[in-house]
Amino acid sequence: MNIDSLKLKKISALWIIVILVLFIASIVLGILMRLNQGKVIEQSPLTFYTNMTTHGLTMIGIWFAAGMVAVNYLLQRYVKTSYGVNLFAFILTVIGVVMLWVTTYAGKFSTGWTFLYPLPFRDLGSESWSTPLFLISLTILGVGWLVWSVSLMAQIFKKYTLAQAFAWQHFKSNPTVETPPFILITTVTLVGVIASLIAAVIVIVLYFAEYFSHGDFVNDALLMKNLIYFFGHTIANEMLYLGLAVIYEIFGEVSDRPKWKMTWYISLAWNCAMVFILTAFFHHLYMDFVQPQALQIVGQLVSYLASIPSAAVTVFSIVAAVYGVKVRWSIVNLLFFLGVAGWVIGGLGAVIDATISNNIMLHNTLWVPAHFHTYNAMGNVLFSIGFFYWFSTQYVDKLVLSKLTKYTLTLLIVGGIGFLMAFYVAGANSIPRRYSTYPVELTSGPYLAKVGALFATIYLIAILIFFYNIAKRCFVILSASSR
Amino acid sequence: MFRYFVCFFALTCFSFLGYANDNHSDFREEQNLYGKIYNAPLGIVGNNKVSSVEELYNQKPLIIALVFTRCYGICNPFLLQLSENIKHLQSNSDFNILVISFDPRDNLQDMTNLSKQYGLENNLQWNFAITDSIDAFINSIGFIPKWDSVIKQFDHDALLVGVNEKGLITKNLLGIRIVEDVHKMISSINNVFTPSYRLPTKSNIFSCFNYDPKTQTNRPGLGLLFVALPAIITFLIVTIIVIKSKRTVS
Ligand code: HEM
Repeated sequence: MNIDSLKLKKISALWIIVILVLFIASIVLGILMRLNQGKVIEQSPLTFYTNMTTHGLTMIGIWFAAGMVAVNYLLQRYVKTSYGVNLFAFILTVIGVVMLWVTTYAGKFSTGWTFLYPLPFRDLGSESWSTPLFLISLTILGVGWLVWSVSLMAQIFKKYTLAQAFAWQHFKSNPTVETPPFILITTVTLVGVIASLIAAVIVIVLYFAEYFSHGDFVNDALLMKNLIYFFGHTIANEMLYLGLAVIYEIFGEVSDRPKWKMTWYISLAWNCAMVFILTAFFHHLYMDFVQPQALQIVGQLVSYLASIPSAAVTVFSIVAAVYGVKVRWSIVNLLFFLGVAGWVIGGLGAVIDATISNNIMLHNTLWVPAHFHTYNAMGNVLFSIGFFYWFSTQYVDKLVLSKLTKYTLTLLIVGGIGFLMAFYVAGANSIPRRYSTYPVELTSGPYLAKVGALFATIYLIAILIFFYNIAKRCFVILSASSR
Repeated sequence: MFRYFVCFFALTCFSFLGYANDNHSDFREEQNLYGKIYNAPLGIVGNNKVSSVEELYNQKPLIIALVFTRCYGICNPFLLQLSENIKHLQSNSDFNILVISFDPRDNLQDMTNLSKQYGLENNLQWNFAITDSIDAFINSIGFIPKWDSVIKQFDHDALLVGVNEKGLITKNLLGIRIVEDVHKMISSINNVFTPSYRLPTKSNIFSCFNYDPKTQTNRPGLGLLFVALPAIITFLIVTIIVIKSKRTVS
């Protein structure tokens, strides 16, 4: 085995183990939150909010990293990527996450994952050092990921011209060079990732400026909210696109079907997604009376334009790949298929919420965690676990659909759907999100929270089985030598 | 091309900066909100137990009135209206009132006389006080009285400041106000939500929009440029990468 590719395999295996361990820990935090809301256990509001903050930030961080690991690994098929940068990103991610957990658990930092202004400067029961440490941990994570993204982008442009990387030649008939869909989606996504990380850098600088100015410089709440959602909304979407890039690349080969080809409509849809996703975050500010109406309307329109074309072409491609033909089903393509379904269903829930007339009813209700957990826990997570399986079984074992795998998948689906339904029903009943305990008037809140906790535990069991299967193979890869 | 872009970018930045600086509105009630009030040592008429502002707001949220005893102008009608308003409140026990002199010439005897004028000398909710740290105290509020040496009077606002139990200023009321306004202030110092929006001040230069109360229009501020900045920087990064990469297209 070539030494470079072995190094890449080892670092990818290491990433996968760390990501899955953190995932399991974060699910436990999620279940604790639902148990507290269901009054099964009693935690102080401060503990609830530190759990919520840790859970949210860790989940976003690890599933973004999972997408990057997969894309970095597959990109090696087309261009040479840097092992050093990958390792650098890994080290900074580990340091950043450890600091983050210290901030939340030792420092009691508890603003929620969006750390909206001016919460980090408010006395929420946290230690005074927790705010600067939190900002430093975000800086470390941001630097690692920004360098990684820019490095991957630079490698792509070493081989492809600007027009080729964005597949613009496919707008004309009979293009001479074909851009693989994987390259297009990766490039488009890296643009969004870089923009969102730069937004985060600006937010951190502004927070530090206020922190060190001792009152001489004060931030504008509207600016901070716009920038925080530029970062948060964009990165949460881009990490899904990373997962989709992987599906475009390997769905065909794991299903014994031809590789997906680039077409003019795939190119158009993903170019639309790149442009429009950068302003879709305006839909997070519908309730901000100071935001001008024009931006609110832009928010609604681009929410449709960013999501519908890319979802339509992806669903079309995946249905076309499996409809009426013999497909070799394995855990990998099943997870991909289910994940796309979860992404589309969650996406529909999001588009409903991004429509101004509905948002008046659904804003800050549990409908919001309902839809974003759908495309994360039953969408993006499945894309990445599918990739992890594929990656680990490539070198150790074969991909087979055993009975145990089928049962595990059933547990995952039952647990996932039950957990999400508890959120959706509560959201439709106007139960608010981010409440550590519900007031007595909201009688269905605690009941649905208990149901959610139960099904989330079933989901967790499935994840533990997946973890065992994937991690044991990753350890074999880690101990492999180049001879 | 790149030079033109940089020039255009710099020009846009400067014109936005100009706009933002021009358009700071004069809604002084909204300034200094959520800042901490200075913990001045106090001498309080008939009260030897409490000796600082912090001790007072730790007991209960606080309404602060700023006056001076030699005032020929607004101070007396202002205090009279306040005491009337407080009498008319349905529930008036969940806060204390601090009437503090900002005139260094005032002493405890002057403040005792003032309290007697309103029959409040024995009312425990009312605290008439002086302090030797008046400058730091009024600075933390943003209250700036101007001394007029000709008429030997301060030119000043009639200002009520609402402070919650943590010492944070949650609401200001300028001028002689009706009981409903005082009611809103009491809600806000008891941490009951009252809608308010901190307007840009000199320390807040990156606002997205600047509201001009005279024309009632919202003008774009420098902050809007910051919202676009991530996309602009990304565009620049991609451009630089593309230019720098040696393309080896097959
Ligand atoms: C079975 C697995 C999971 C459980 C049990 C769970 C549970 C929860 C709960 C109870 C909340 C708080 C809801 C509220 O506002 O009342 C929450 C919030 C959140 N979850 Fe999960 N979750 C799971 C998976 C995930 C995944 C896979 C992601 C991936 C991105 C994720 C990201 C988030 C985020 C970003 C928040 C918002 C935190 C905040 O409001 O600051 N969760 N989750």
